[in-house]
Amino acid sequence: MTKLHSSNAGTFAKMSDNADSPTESQKDDPPTQQPPTEDSGLVDEKKKIDVLLKAVGDTPIMKTKKWTVERGRTVHSLSQFISRFLKLEPSEQLFIYVNQSFAPSPDQEVGVLFESFGSDGKLVLHYCKSQAWG
Amino acid sequence: MCGEMENTEWNFRPVSMSDDTDSTAASCYLDEKTFRLSCGLFLEHSSFLNDGWAWEEVNGSEKEGYMKKTVMVPCRISSTPCQSNQSRLVDGDDALLEEEQLCDQDEAVGEPTAAEGQAAVRYEYHVLYSCSYQIPVLYFRASTLEGRSLSLEEVWNNVHPNYQQRLLQGPWDTITQQEHPLLGQPFFMLHPCRTEEFMRPALETARAERKGVNYILTWLSVVGPVVGLDVPLSYALAVGPPAPKAEATTAASTASASASTSGPD
Repeated sequence: MTKLHSSNAGTFAKMSDNADSPTESQKDDPPTQQPPTEDSGLVDEKKKIDVLLKAVGDTPIMKTKKWTVERGRTVHSLSQFISRFLKLEPSEQLFIYVNQSFAPSPDQEVGVLFESFGSDGKLVLHYCKSQAWG
Repeated sequence: MCGEMENTEWNFRPVSMSDDTDSTAASCYLDEKTFRLSCGLFLEHSSFLNDGWAWEEVNGSEKEGYMKKTVMVPCRISSTPCQSNQSRLVDGDDALLEEEQLCDQDEAVGEPTAAEGQAAVRYEYHVLYSCSYQIPVLYFRASTLEGRSLSLEEVWNNVHPNYQQRLLQGPWDTITQQEHPLLGQPFFMLHPCRTEEFMRPALETARAERKGVNYILTWLSVVGPVVGLDVPLSYALAVGPPAPKAEATTAASTASASASTSGPD
């Protein structure tokens, strides 16, 4: 697994657990909870992974594309987060793809996806929204 | 195999993505040959996992067929439909006892609209090719161990929460009851009218990164979870697109034929 450099931590926004839209202040938050030792940094690395979200087609591009996400977070939870972030209508479905063209199971943990498909220290996920029924 | 389906009521209009004829991946359509080849590659990995997919031939022809899988899943089923199958008597212990035995519920059957219980339900999934629309279509049916077919309501209740709200909001994935085009038996079908909508992004993205797509794998990974069908992650790593060239296609067919007990072509 590619080592996560601490210098990259600041470029990935922390994804809140309650799926609320993030505030700007959440960006570039240093891990203030842990003392700045290398061991703590490694522990912090293992709990979270970096995710890069890429919009496909006419889907709105998220202002923040890079997120640090808890490994145990499910695809379903991530999907809800993105949907709220993009303010999707209830009738709009969000599709998420890993490895360009595979839709992971909603219960799948992102940490597992990272292990299989992560590269350069991050997991790339493509997302796309369906049309709303008018 | 060209199972003609009742399609007059559909609004589905197949839309071609582009005029690019380099590969079938450029179009949101799926031709029948690519359907078979893609299924073949899918089935190879299924054989490796031993997770139950098989190729069912139609009319004894290797070239015509569909993918099939049967799986037992724990489901929430209502005791109500079971009771309504016979003339149900509210009064009388005899009637209640009879219903309890038939429904095989742990909790006592009391109110008409009472409890749901956990039970093992047999789900049978069929991946068919539609000649009319040139896309795969998912048919499925579900029944209890006693052989009672699940109602549409029960099937809906077991849809993953991720999809329940959307299913209620819009018919992109509407589950309808249809006659199986080949077996002539009642099945549920996942309405395919939005296939292009979720296939297009995947095909576009893969194309942009110069990668091929196994249409069946991509398609099933999207529609499967809606109806409780899981496609394990290892498929994404193991199953690739069918080779576009004829020579490579022949090789793939050979590999497919030798790999498992069942496979197309």
